[in-house]
Amino acid sequence: MTQVMKAADVVIIGVGMVGSIIAKELAAAGYKVVGLERGEPRFTVPDFQGPGVHDELRFDVRKALMQDNTREAVTFRNQVAQTALPIRRWESFLPGTGLGGSQVHWNGQTYRFQAQDFAMASHVRERYGKDFLDPDLRVQDWGVIYADLEPHYDRFEYLLGTGGKAGNLKGKIQPGGDPFESPRSREYPTRPMKEHYSGAMFRKAANSLGYHPFPQPSSNLSEPYTNPEGLKLNTCVFCGFCERFACEHYAKAVPQTFILPVLMKNPNFELRTGAQVQRINLDSSKTKATGVTYIDAAGREFEQPAALVITCSFALNNVRMLLLSGVGKPYDPASGTGVVGRNYAYQTMSTVASFFDKDVIVNPFMASGASGTLINDFAGENFDHSKLGFIGGSFIGAVNTNGRPINYHPVPPGTQAWGKGWKKAVADHYNHTVMFSIHGSSMAQKQNYLDLDPTYKDAWGQPLLRMTFDFPKNDLAMAEYVTGKGVEIGKAMGAKQVVGTPRKGPYTITQYQTTHNTGGTVMGDDPSTSVVNRYLQVWDVPNVFVVGASNFPQNATWNPTDTIGALTYWAIDALKNKYLKNPGRLVSA
Amino acid sequence: MNARNVCRLSLLVALGATAASAMAAAPIVGDAKNGAVLAAACQACHGAQGEGTFAAGFPRLAGQTAVYLEKQLNDYAADTRSNAVMAPLAKALSPKQRADLAAHFAGLSPPSTAAGSSAGAGVLARGRLLAHEGDEAKQLQACGNCHGPEGRGEAFAAPYLAGQSATYLAAAIKEWKSGARKNDGGQLMAAVANRLDDADIAAVAAYFESVGPLP
Repeated sequence: MTQVMKAADVVIIGVGMVGSIIAKELAAAGYKVVGLERGEPRFTVPDFQGPGVHDELRFDVRKALMQDNTREAVTFRNQVAQTALPIRRWESFLPGTGLGGSQVHWNGQTYRFQAQDFAMASHVRERYGKDFLDPDLRVQDWGVIYADLEPHYDRFEYLLGTGGKAGNLKGKIQPGGDPFESPRSREYPTRPMKEHYSGAMFRKAANSLGYHPFPQPSSNLSEPYTNPEGLKLNTCVFCGFCERFACEHYAKAVPQTFILPVLMKNPNFELRTGAQVQRINLDSSKTKATGVTYIDAAGREFEQPAALVITCSFALNNVRMLLLSGVGKPYDPASGTGVVGRNYAYQTMSTVASFFDKDVIVNPFMASGASGTLINDFAGENFDHSKLGFIGGSFIGAVNTNGRPINYHPVPPGTQAWGKGWKKAVADHYNHTVMFSIHGSSMAQKQNYLDLDPTYKDAWGQPLLRMTFDFPKNDLAMAEYVTGKGVEIGKAMGAKQVVGTPRKGPYTITQYQTTHNTGGTVMGDDPSTSVVNRYLQVWDVPNVFVVGASNFPQNATWNPTDTIGALTYWAIDALKNKYLKNPGRLVSA
Repeated sequence: MNARNVCRLSLLVALGATAASAMAAAPIVGDAKNGAVLAAACQACHGAQGEGTFAAGFPRLAGQTAVYLEKQLNDYAADTRSNAVMAPLAKALSPKQRADLAAHFAGLSPPSTAAGSSAGAGVLARGRLLAHEGDEAKQLQACGNCHGPEGRGEAFAAPYLAGQSATYLAAAIKEWKSGARKNDGGQLMAAVANRLDDADIAAVAAYFESVGPLP
């Protein structure tokens, strides 16, 4: 029997980074907010403390912080003609679960997208002509421009305490920063991280080739910082356990350090963990949500009525929630119609390994998740694509996030895969190798999409999300080109052997690449190609908002978190100053 | 000054510069035997074997890492760690002598001279909690994250706390809090110390003394 709870003003699905920021703002504005989190409550003390928090086998290999895929997996196939199978062991991407969401295990790399990224389709048309793009690509504009989001990027970065060096302050190029970035209204709140030896070598080589190296922006803090919420973050100690791990030092910007202590004290907010939302409930008109239905950890079913529903779980789960609820028309790749699940994109990741003699000592274990040195000379639209036949790009960086014993052991190609030869190669190269990340954009393509699996169900009997994805030719060509540029930098660093590994198809889910899954509930100005309008309000059901990387029409060169944060404050602004004052459609379709 | 002298002078300058940069590049290696000789001057406060004088708050030095001890002596000399007694002593030593003393004390392991804590069970329990688990309400992480399991120290920079004088530990935390000591780079100890009130400082100091020295 379903128990009906007392109605709330707002129900939040997923209390991660986006959910906790929205909940804090709306609760502070006087609204009754219920936050439903499927995972467990967890805080820096006692949950993230040493020595257990550095258990590489538990967290890195067995992925203890991730969504439980024995209960809730994603099925995968490369093409429509194949049968998708459930991913029973996360490898390619790592969706988190629990209070604080996936951000708890992030690396802290905090980039803005560039102005051109938000107007990608118009920009490409204007710069290269209307026939430049592969007709299978589904590149489109965001419905917002960079200037709309700049104040919200700024607010988000000051919430986190992001460290870096501005490259463009109000249009004036700043030495030492990234000259390609779109203008910032002010400097980063904290200074850049200390540079590794590998970063210093990279910087020197990049300069010698005429490129523009700059310190990687980091939300692992470079110095003590008190954020505008009054919360104090500590200095990172370079332990090398960021990605896949939680931080014991209050030094990584995660909801537990930058917002939850404030949110949890507000009596207008109620957190319910172990709450597995089954669906958003709609009234008979199918244009109004009445609340959500969830099942608690003891298997009891509850209905939580609410005037406003905001889904802000992991990108893939946002898409699934709409599909399970019948909110928005599902995308059909055959006809090209429908919108939910359309424009699923990813990130195109390649690497360059530079092997040095033993006199070059890099100490990879003295690392933080975001303390590299990189260039944006081949990122996004920062270079001319007219003769290259593709769009998009990658940053190239000496981004050394860890030297952990189980999973970090770079060896040259041709090394014996096991036994004595392998052990010798690991010993020879562990401390004398510089790895570059070639971190690239991902274009949406007609054949890549998300829908509900016809066969496999989760532990609650609901269909799993099905992913159909392979790399577009465009992105593989981009990876090939930029990886070549990375190899040239490795050679300029004086490495004795440089190995470039551009991303190749088909996409495999058995090899870690990145957790930057995007799209599926795309934002835009046209209801026939987007699920939500420019304020992240669902076109068809105006009292449902969707916030996350699922809003990206295609993925840009950089890590998505900063842009998700900017979209979060952008949506909060629309909610507080427009929607909640006068609920209804914020944009007429 | 004639031309020949100028020439000789510039040669000396060049040699001096080379020697200085060579010194900067190569770390000083401490000589424990020489350190043992120099340590006669330390005995009155730190004990014959570096065991410390707990009641007076003179810390145990025996078995701390040479890296840590040498850095503290250098920091006293550079005034990034302020102490009226230690500063002139450290300044009177050459960098090599500081390294020698550090090597000497790092190699010692005398028994503890702690008299046994008079702190009550509640105080020790609070200290134990802070040491191993931290306090979320104060956004305070556990000491063991840096100072090693049970506070046994984490090579090379984080000193052991287990078996250290409670009087000394409490005074040291207060120095971090007041800013008299700021020699940890990232100001992490200042951040921690600022979240500890006097009762918590006393509790965590008493707890670590009560654990006794650990191998």
